[in-house]
Amino acid sequence: MDPILRIENVTKTYVGHRALDDVSVEIPRGSIYGLLGPNGAGKTTLIRVVNHMTMPDRGKVWFEDHEITDKDIFNTGYMPEERGLYKKMKVGEQALFFARMHGLSRTEAARRLKDWFSRLGIAEWWDKKVEDLSKGMAQKVQFIITVVHEPKLLIFDEPFSGFDPINQNMLKEEILGLRDRGATVIFSTHNMESVEEICDDITLINKSQNILSGPVDEIRRKAGGNTFLVVYNGSQEDFSASLQGKAFPLGTPDSILGGFTQQRIHIPDDSDIRPVIGMLNEKVALRSFQEIIPSMNDIFIRAVNGTL
Amino acid sequence: MNRLGLIVEREFLERVRKKSFILVTILIPILIALSLIGPTFFMNAVDSKAKTERIVVIDNTPGQIIGKRLPSDSRVEFQLLPENTTVEEARQKFGYEVYCFGILVIGEDIIDNPGNLTLINNGASSLSVEDAIRERIQGIIRTERLNRYDVENINSILADANVHAGIQTLKNEQNQEMKSSSTGGSVALGFIIAFFIYMIIIIYGQMVLQSVIDEKQTRVLDVLITSCKPFELMMGKVLGIALVAMLQILIWGGIIMLLVAFALPAIAASSGNAEILLGSIADVHYIGTLVITTILYIIGGFLFYASMYAAIGSAVDTPQDAAQFNSVIMLPIIIAIYVLMAVIKNPGSDVAFWFSMIPFTSPMVMMARIPAGIPTWEIVVSLAVLYVSFVILIWLASRIFRIGVFMHGKKPTWKDLGQWIKMK
Repeated sequence: MDPILRIENVTKTYVGHRALDDVSVEIPRGSIYGLLGPNGAGKTTLIRVVNHMTMPDRGKVWFEDHEITDKDIFNTGYMPEERGLYKKMKVGEQALFFARMHGLSRTEAARRLKDWFSRLGIAEWWDKKVEDLSKGMAQKVQFIITVVHEPKLLIFDEPFSGFDPINQNMLKEEILGLRDRGATVIFSTHNMESVEEICDDITLINKSQNILSGPVDEIRRKAGGNTFLVVYNGSQEDFSASLQGKAFPLGTPDSILGGFTQQRIHIPDDSDIRPVIGMLNEKVALRSFQEIIPSMNDIFIRAVNGTL
Repeated sequence: MNRLGLIVEREFLERVRKKSFILVTILIPILIALSLIGPTFFMNAVDSKAKTERIVVIDNTPGQIIGKRLPSDSRVEFQLLPENTTVEEARQKFGYEVYCFGILVIGEDIIDNPGNLTLINNGASSLSVEDAIRERIQGIIRTERLNRYDVENINSILADANVHAGIQTLKNEQNQEMKSSSTGGSVALGFIIAFFIYMIIIIYGQMVLQSVIDEKQTRVLDVLITSCKPFELMMGKVLGIALVAMLQILIWGGIIMLLVAFALPAIAASSGNAEILLGSIADVHYIGTLVITTILYIIGGFLFYASMYAAIGSAVDTPQDAAQFNSVIMLPIIIAIYVLMAVIKNPGSDVAFWFSMIPFTSPMVMMARIPAGIPTWEIVVSLAVLYVSFVILIWLASRIFRIGVFMHGKKPTWKDLGQWIKMK
């Protein structure tokens, strides 16, 4: 798939501190792309480079078919982690201002905003001041402001923080909807559950470097390392003997409730696991057999600690 | 509408719609008027409320010629003691009386020696009472002395001879008509305008600073910066606030015009120099030059300082952090006000010349010099220097601004600002 954004060997140094070190990332068009990493890893700097807020010392950023320019920020919507709204300004007036700043005409902006406001259930807040809104309400306004001009590239920094589960779901649906209508979404978060749920691809940045990139499914499967969890009833010797060099037990077996034993095994060639299952089935009473796919949370921690 | 325009519009409307703007705009001229009228008003009030003071008079002149003619009125009441009363007797009799203000002793030779006059107070003295006594005695002595010459119609001669001279200063300029200017009126005017520019720069410059810090604190800048260039953002703020200033000045101007139209004739009637004052103000050509240069210096001076304030605002997180930079910006403004005092006395001095060329001080210092009449080329050069340096400064400020808006946490140093300017 052709990437909408290509970050090539970007290095950025602030006074005495290297924020990005030779980072390359490709963001496929129409994907939801997770930008992960511990605090201070360089995510925000990368976002700023993409937003053209700051220039890299070395390396290039390509937007579609050209090197990114000032004008490309108008094809971008950015919702920073710390939300920014004029507190004393009325919500509707403010949304109109930002929408027009993003290049919409007054009438078009008003039409789209009214639509969004009623969709997210905040239509009656149009004439209220931002300082009178709850945090969640203000977040919704911020979200609308970010997406109203329907940019090709959307960048959300921790979009779900401050939302209750119902609103989180609503926002998730809206983000998926935006993707389905053709937008590419970069989304920076520490909430790994949401990454599993909605991200197609991720990049993990640690200590200014890209340490892990790729489609979420692939990364999780690979991180699993062809590990399977077998629950059975029978003798442990029979179990081990039946593996016949096609699979290897990992760690020690655990006894679990109901008299069952639980054992992790590694199958080096997992292109077809049926022979292993067949052999096990002959010797022990199998209760369950499942691939272990680590959570993104696990992968994050292991990758950052260098144990992946 | 383009983005710069949108930012300007937002900045402008946000401020102009505030109740405080409307209040300040109307209240300030009223306060100024009050501060001008107030002192006179209170002086009069104090005088009119004062009680009548009783003064006993010992007149040692032959025939008590002074004491007999001292007129009593609502302010002072004189009580002439019989001839040959000694000070001692008077002190014993009136010295401790509460209702007696004091004892006035008029020397024997007062007509030849006007200093021979003593007031023995029973309580605290009062300048206004002393003035009242002195005025009356002087009048009597003058009349007495004139009478010695035995001139006929002396009073009408005196009235005819009583003149006040006013200096009409004319300026010598080649190839031009001589312009008239009155030093007193125009110096005052120059000082007022210079001080006004100083106020505008401080008040609205601080407004720019505050506005940038606020937006940085609320992270609005982070959102805005993705829809426009930092330069547009900075200029939008500066110009938006400049428009607010313009509107406010126009309204103030209007109110002052109205006040002047009604109040000036009244002032003129009560002041001896009124004709000269009015004469210089009514010179259309002169007023035109003054208004145009004032506007040019206000705009140039404001933009010059506002761009510095915007840069500082972008670099810091809180107004407290801005204080150290702010004091440095304030320094030349305050120097300008000091220099102003010297310039008023001698607008042609070297100090006055150089400070009216340096862009940090020129808006104020030059405005104080212009009414005194200076060569046009000096104004042109000074304005050119101001506008060129404002362009350079805006450029430098925007270099700081574009980095500063993203810097949070550590308070930057001057060195940091320098590095930001150089940064790619």
